[in-house]
Amino acid sequence: MLEIKNLHASVDGREILRGIDLVIRPGEVHAIMGPNGSGKSTLANIIAGRPGYEATAGEVLFDGKSLLELAPEERAREGLFLAFQYPVEIPGVNNLYFLKAAVNAVRKHRGEEELDALDFLEKVQQRAGLVKMDESFLKRPVNEGFSGGEKKRNEILQMTVLEPKLAVLDETDSGLDIDALKVVADGVNALRSPERAFLVITHYQRLLDHIVPDVVHVMVDGVIVRSGGPQLALELEEQGYSLYGRAEGESRRAQA
Amino acid sequence: MSDDAKRAAAPDALGCATDWLGRAEALAAALPAPLRFDELRAGARGELLQRGLPNRRQEVWRTVDLNGFRAQEFAAAAAPRPVDAALLDGLDGALRLVLVDGHYVPSLSRRTALPAGVTVAPLAEVAAERPQLLAALGDVPAWNAEPFSALNTANFTDGVVVHVAAGVQLDETIEIALLSSEDTAAHPRLLVVLEAGANARVTELQRGRGRYFSNPVTEIRLGEGAQYRHFVLQDESRSAWQFASVHAELAAGAQASLHRCMLGGLIGRVDLTLTLAGAGANATLEGLALAADGQLLDSHLTVRHAVAHGESRQTFRGVLKGKSRHVFDGLIRVEQDAQKTDAQQQCRNLLLARMAQAQAMPRLEIFADDVKCAHGATVGELDETALFYLRSRGIGEAEAKALLVRAFAGEFLDGLDDAGWRERLEARIDAWLEA
Repeated sequence: MLEIKNLHASVDGREILRGIDLVIRPGEVHAIMGPNGSGKSTLANIIAGRPGYEATAGEVLFDGKSLLELAPEERAREGLFLAFQYPVEIPGVNNLYFLKAAVNAVRKHRGEEELDALDFLEKVQQRAGLVKMDESFLKRPVNEGFSGGEKKRNEILQMTVLEPKLAVLDETDSGLDIDALKVVADGVNALRSPERAFLVITHYQRLLDHIVPDVVHVMVDGVIVRSGGPQLALELEEQGYSLYGRAEGESRRAQA
Repeated sequence: MSDDAKRAAAPDALGCATDWLGRAEALAAALPAPLRFDELRAGARGELLQRGLPNRRQEVWRTVDLNGFRAQEFAAAAAPRPVDAALLDGLDGALRLVLVDGHYVPSLSRRTALPAGVTVAPLAEVAAERPQLLAALGDVPAWNAEPFSALNTANFTDGVVVHVAAGVQLDETIEIALLSSEDTAAHPRLLVVLEAGANARVTELQRGRGRYFSNPVTEIRLGEGAQYRHFVLQDESRSAWQFASVHAELAAGAQASLHRCMLGGLIGRVDLTLTLAGAGANATLEGLALAADGQLLDSHLTVRHAVAHGESRQTFRGVLKGKSRHVFDGLIRVEQDAQKTDAQQQCRNLLLARMAQAQAMPRLEIFADDVKCAHGATVGELDETALFYLRSRGIGEAEAKALLVRAFAGEFLDGLDDAGWRERLEARIDAWLEA
């Protein structure tokens, strides 16, 4: 489903990713762990097409199509979803309206008719229940005045409504208490299916207690230094990243 | 004809290619008796002769270059010319008064039976039949001398009068259309008088085709506790000049809510003066300017708190694309007796192009010591992060931009209590973005 070959990427002219190779098949859940500043979020943003993040070499294929040449909206319409590390507040744009515009943009791309307003509302209400989000949030402007946990839940709500083929979760667990963490995990687990894949980026192992990955990758300094089964996450939790030449939590940015 | 040649072609005493004063004098002699208002018009001509048209050395006019306007010749349309009925799109109520080139056009208008105590009629008709209703004409204080208001006073031949007797509520929205045809100058005059406790609502559309000059003046006088809402869609041609004036005066406890969306005009300017003359009066002024390449949209507002316990809110927004300019100059003046005044003023601008230019000049003049006044101005660009967020969910770039611009304009749209107009305006914003 996702095939990344020798990906190099820069932000503001500084090379962050230095040759990433990664293959994710339908139905799989991959986790990428690594210290701060290792390039995890850069990888997520490159996949989603964030302006300012530049792939300098290599390729990213999504269902065989080259992703790097597509605009962010085209990637989303092809079935890609990024849960933002820092969800954006958009004053004046109603959450439900935003969801509807997104769903209909994707449906239009697939040659499907726009959803009937009532069917849509019913679907969103059902998914809001799944992520334990009060319906009043649907009427509020996107993320405006939401707490950190509410914003992350709103990301998961969008994911469950948009039903992507591949969802990338960029540190969705950061800043969440254990209850909110379970909500996020339940949202992901409810969507797990043989046709769908997930890339879960996290700094800590605890999210992976609830979303059990098929493969865990360790990223340090812009390269994947090790891949393994779920037990690798537990190992990292005990030993930190020092095995890979880095102290736990130590950042290349901080060193710079 | 080149601009220079036009300027040389028999300029009048005001330095314009169009002989405004000569035309006004000829008109004064030719008007039917009820419309003469000799003293009022002579005063206006005198003011024009003495002060001339404004120039950039005058503080409130330094933002506008009038040379292009001075060089233009505009015809005085003795009668309305035929116009495209599509210009009336959006007005579909049962009570609609249409003026073309400053003249009332019965065939485009709709009159309906009105409750006792309500007059909604062409100004010339009211002048002939019930001149006592025109006592306020030319009497609502303008505060700042406004030459284009005087130009209208010297030249108007018709307009609309709205008069609502004490305690009467008019449920029907009054629709007014000021249309212009090519090459003309129009000086329509609107007079709105709401007596104590009266309630009325006006929706006004300003449109035309091609090059012309539109010079409307609106006078609003609200009695004690009267409630008035007025929405203007200034959708003039992009080759037109519009210099509009609004003078309003509020008695104690009166509430005025004036909304103006501006899209049209090579130069589109409004000078608005509002006086809170009675205790506890409340004024809400909201504006939305959508300026496209080559345009200057300019709002000059003066809100004068003359007595205590007045409340006023000015919220103006500009969205600019291409090489365009938006000027907002807002003055809150709080007189010595106007204690406990609560006045706020805000101007926010969203620039969609590098060449666009927004100027916000919020000003306070406060002579009382126990007041609450605030003002602010911002200029910004579209939030790239928000744009990416929307696009990352599958929403196309153009639609995402439209969503963000509509969100920026949202408070203005929310202020329109007519759902139909809100939708029309949203569609207009989308079309404007795409154009």
